[in-house]
Amino acid sequence: MAIQEVRVTNKPGLPDPAGNGLLYDLHHALGLDGFEKVSTAKVYRFEGIDEGQARLLAERLLAEDVFQIYSINGPLPDNTGVLVEVAYKPGVMNPEAASLIKAALDLGIEGLLAAESSREYTFRGPGATAENIALIVDKLLVNATVERVVIAKPETLIIKGSIGSIKTIPINQMNDQQLMELSRDKLFLNLEEMRAVRKYFLDTGREPTDCEIETIAQTWSEHCGHKTFRATLVVNGKEKEPMLARLKKATEDVNHPLVLSAFVDNSGVMEFYRGQAICGKVETHNSPSAIEPYGGAMTGSGGVFRDIMGTGAGARVIASTDMFCFAPPETLAENIPAGCLHPHYLLRQVVAGVKDYGNRMGIPTNNGSVHFHKDFRAKPSIIVGAYGILPVESCRKGQARPGDLGVVLGGRTGRDGIHGATFSSGEMTHRTVDVNSSAVQIGNAIEEKRMSDALLAASAEGLIRAVTDCGAGGFSSALGEMGENTGVRAWLERAPLKYSGLSTWEIWLSESQERMVLAVAPENLERLLEICRGYNVEATVLAEFTADRRLRVTHGDDIVCDLDMEFLHNGLPKRRMTARWERKPVCPDGVEKESNSLAIDWLNIYKSIMSHLNVCSKEPIIRVYDHGVQGSCALPPLGGEGGDAPNDAVILTPLPGEACGVVISHGLNPVLNNIDPYYGSLWAAAEAVSNAVATGANPEELCLIDNFIWPFPDEESLGALDLAVDACVDFVRATGMPFISGKDSLSSTYRGTDGAVLKIPPVLCVSAFGRVPDVNLTVSADFKKQGSKIVLVGKRNPSEMAGSTYYDWLGREGGNLPCLDLATLPLVLKAVHRAVRRGLVLACHDISEGGLAAAVAEMCFGGRLGAALNVVPGESPEQFLFNETVGCFVVEIDAGADGAEIFGVVPWVEIGTTVPEQQVAVYYKDQQLFGAELVELKDAWQKPMKEVFGA
Amino acid sequence: MKPPVCVLRTDGTNCDEETFYAFAKAGGDCRMVHVNQLRSGEEKLSSYHILALPGGFSYGDDVHSGKVLAVELTSLLKEQLQEFVEAGKPVLGICNGFQVLVRTGLLPERKIGTINTTLMHNDSGKFECRWVNLLVEDSPCIFTRGMTEKTISIQVAHGEGRFYTDPETLNRIESSRQVVFRYCDAGGKATALYPANPNGSLNAIAGICDETGLVMGLMPHPERFVEKTQHPNWRRGIEGDPHGLAVFQNAVSYAREM
Repeated sequence: MAIQEVRVTNKPGLPDPAGNGLLYDLHHALGLDGFEKVSTAKVYRFEGIDEGQARLLAERLLAEDVFQIYSINGPLPDNTGVLVEVAYKPGVMNPEAASLIKAALDLGIEGLLAAESSREYTFRGPGATAENIALIVDKLLVNATVERVVIAKPETLIIKGSIGSIKTIPINQMNDQQLMELSRDKLFLNLEEMRAVRKYFLDTGREPTDCEIETIAQTWSEHCGHKTFRATLVVNGKEKEPMLARLKKATEDVNHPLVLSAFVDNSGVMEFYRGQAICGKVETHNSPSAIEPYGGAMTGSGGVFRDIMGTGAGARVIASTDMFCFAPPETLAENIPAGCLHPHYLLRQVVAGVKDYGNRMGIPTNNGSVHFHKDFRAKPSIIVGAYGILPVESCRKGQARPGDLGVVLGGRTGRDGIHGATFSSGEMTHRTVDVNSSAVQIGNAIEEKRMSDALLAASAEGLIRAVTDCGAGGFSSALGEMGENTGVRAWLERAPLKYSGLSTWEIWLSESQERMVLAVAPENLERLLEICRGYNVEATVLAEFTADRRLRVTHGDDIVCDLDMEFLHNGLPKRRMTARWERKPVCPDGVEKESNSLAIDWLNIYKSIMSHLNVCSKEPIIRVYDHGVQGSCALPPLGGEGGDAPNDAVILTPLPGEACGVVISHGLNPVLNNIDPYYGSLWAAAEAVSNAVATGANPEELCLIDNFIWPFPDEESLGALDLAVDACVDFVRATGMPFISGKDSLSSTYRGTDGAVLKIPPVLCVSAFGRVPDVNLTVSADFKKQGSKIVLVGKRNPSEMAGSTYYDWLGREGGNLPCLDLATLPLVLKAVHRAVRRGLVLACHDISEGGLAAAVAEMCFGGRLGAALNVVPGESPEQFLFNETVGCFVVEIDAGADGAEIFGVVPWVEIGTTVPEQQVAVYYKDQQLFGAELVELKDAWQKPMKEVFGA
Repeated sequence: MKPPVCVLRTDGTNCDEETFYAFAKAGGDCRMVHVNQLRSGEEKLSSYHILALPGGFSYGDDVHSGKVLAVELTSLLKEQLQEFVEAGKPVLGICNGFQVLVRTGLLPERKIGTINTTLMHNDSGKFECRWVNLLVEDSPCIFTRGMTEKTISIQVAHGEGRFYTDPETLNRIESSRQVVFRYCDAGGKATALYPANPNGSLNAIAGICDETGLVMGLMPHPERFVEKTQHPNWRRGIEGDPHGLAVFQNAVSYAREM
């Protein structure tokens, strides 16, 4: 039967926001003019039904005649103009298809075999030339990795293929060169590792199957195996413990009383209140997001949510966070390396991906940041975090037992994300987009949401022995890890597939999203399946855990994989890696000479700092995230009189009606890591905890999560990484705050065809989370009343200005970066916490990018109050305003309050008062330097992201 | 007696927990009911005195927001729904639940299958989450008793919330006082201006009821302001009870007297 087509659009005269948005982008993002109108329509296609049934669908489901019109098997009326239809490529799962089939069934329509949907754009006006349309398609409408322009009506919507045979890979006779040829672009293993694989099969006396080779490559990938972090390092000729061991040891040594699970499960777990625990995990999704930002960001969020869901015997996700690093959105197109996408596009698509996944899952995204630096132009850093809550009694990692069943829950398996784990471990080149496009897919948040509903129900009934996410490496990774100490027997023919034609190794390695694997005692199986049916979740017994410590996988009668677990998990040759780092002397730059301060155009500088990309308001991003769902927000990302002033951290009350809270914050500063990775990393950690403490959190009840996103670990980058790890370890020992989860992604180097190498500025993102006994004893950042004292608390060396926004504005980086004093920091944090707890703090904001000037301005915006500030004696106005030393706080205390009584011996100084006049006035040596109107500062601060997002 | 409240959920419902909590705090005896349980007969709407359709993205908001659930309800559970409203029991749809109610036809005229109002994509073309002010209109709505002419502070979080209908229906809704909430400025005046009116709704309409006042739907989320600390500026001082709580208390006290 022919394919039925239904086109739906809004009635003439009614707004078409998607079309208007595109029209705006044509002008603002591409600089194209001469378009009068862009309109959009949805196109639906159905296979297996007749025209009458299609009409029924159009009337009852697809088009609402209150505001829409439709056509069947023909164009819409008045379709003059240039039409472009954009659809997902065949095989890229369109989540809407399942809903179309479900609704058709509910409507009693029989015979429907397949359904699809796509979008049709109509461009009108003299600008709609073939050349312009080609540009629009390329830059705005189609990401060729997952989408295509539909030229002709398809003949069928059903994807099928015949299954590939199991191949044997003859590696036993391969020489080293042949081994490396096999590894390149596919396995990403080095020669020593390839030799270990060859030896295993030589000893076994047979050649490996394709599935076995792929399983080993996945298990041993940098992404899954963290080879660099486990390697013995030789730094400048001196041997050092592996980095992971150092981080873990520091955590063990501080022996934090609230830590329940560190580095062993899918997330780190700490004690909460009322018999509950909270857990946190932060992931990166840089490689997929670089080539398909919307799908990459979606699957990044989906993956990190599953990490939380797969903690202990299952946790409920309560928060999502997002931290991004891009090149500036105004970067010229010719400066973007070949094979890379423009940051303006990346930023908007990544935000859309995080939004669509988090919002649809009902998880508030309420903490995040965006950083810009030109050297992210080849590869962005996309960091997504998630936090959860679960009962203490089931918060520890479960262990499958022999005889337990391996049950796969959730989505079906397709050819999605093949080679995701190995791909994200490789460097990026201009070939990346072509060779690895199958590594990206579009997430289906609703599939994950119902799986989460079912999982929590099963967990509450105690049906789950162990659970893990099917992420990188698919079944291979999930079952291989769960059964490491037992053994696994898997039957691949049982796996529910999206379409036929997958090779066995593809089924085994597929990274199709929204799947989890449970270990379930046989007596609990029936009840589990019943729960899953109730939530429309597919559940299949795919495997059984054994006692033979072998990984045996079959497909029908074929043996696909038969490996020794010991070899698979412990056979990876331990790496010994050399690192080299020459510490630049951290010397004073000596530029802040006593300039003629009165002659400087302070207002212009202030506005430039406020509109710097790393300082400016990110409100247009925050607004598209549902940061209020779950009704748990006790300190939102934005607050104050206009609802547009930022807070330092988010505080959530995950137990409805209870005042106990979870605080979440983070810190990172790639620019400082470029100057000195040790102090840059200390800055990141201190910024994360300062953000939490600024709201009143107790520094003794915080845990940390690390994310190292680094260039490929050549000797120099590895030297920098080693220093960053040292900084983390020193931070843990000085503050007592442990890292309990972490992740490294060491592939952010781009190699061009001309041999040009582009490394990102190294990123250490530290996330902090903790518990707050009573959210009523926390503060926001907005000034509360006029006449209050403004106090600067914390130790800073005013001349340490390198890497600051101010220096960037001056066009330089400098060498004298802020060197955090680890001895003083804990005392300052305690003092600020104590002051908030005693109710003596009206408002508090920590100092970060943009310095005190930005912090005070933001507090003014929130309070609709001005500030009169006096430059601290001994500091130049530039230093006073723009120094970015971390661990310092701007605190509002009552006019009559006594700073000495409140802050005691830690460094503090009174710097001014809040005033009713709507400006920030700064006085230096008893003279007014300038008075900056809040409205001007705020406009400057809000402008950059408004322009990018068209708000 | 605590009136039994059915919090109806399905794939993609995600404001169910907080809606459950809001009704529970208001004195309801809440139960989470999956639409599958109604379909299988394991649960019956008639066991409940209040029906709540929470926010979220039912079935991914595919095709239109709330549409696939609306089709499911009107195709397979029509009689139960009809009986429920004919028995004079309150029905509340919040955000996605409101979208479902207009797409079943229960709003504005309690005619299942007759869709004459809709919620289009926001004028901004974007999903948006922000706190707005609502003016409570004088209406027969049982959920807003005692709130008339007050201005309340409340959060919206949606991408498809632009209330739209033809001029005749609009007139009818207005003249029979079925408009329950309007987006308003800080001074309490209904407004068409963004962002106070976050989506471009006709006549600034944020929520409506049927002629009896027993079926109500609104885009904003009253369940997100039933505790003081849920307001973004509770530290700056917010007077009185959390503004969303009365909606649930009114429903529960009405059901108690039924």
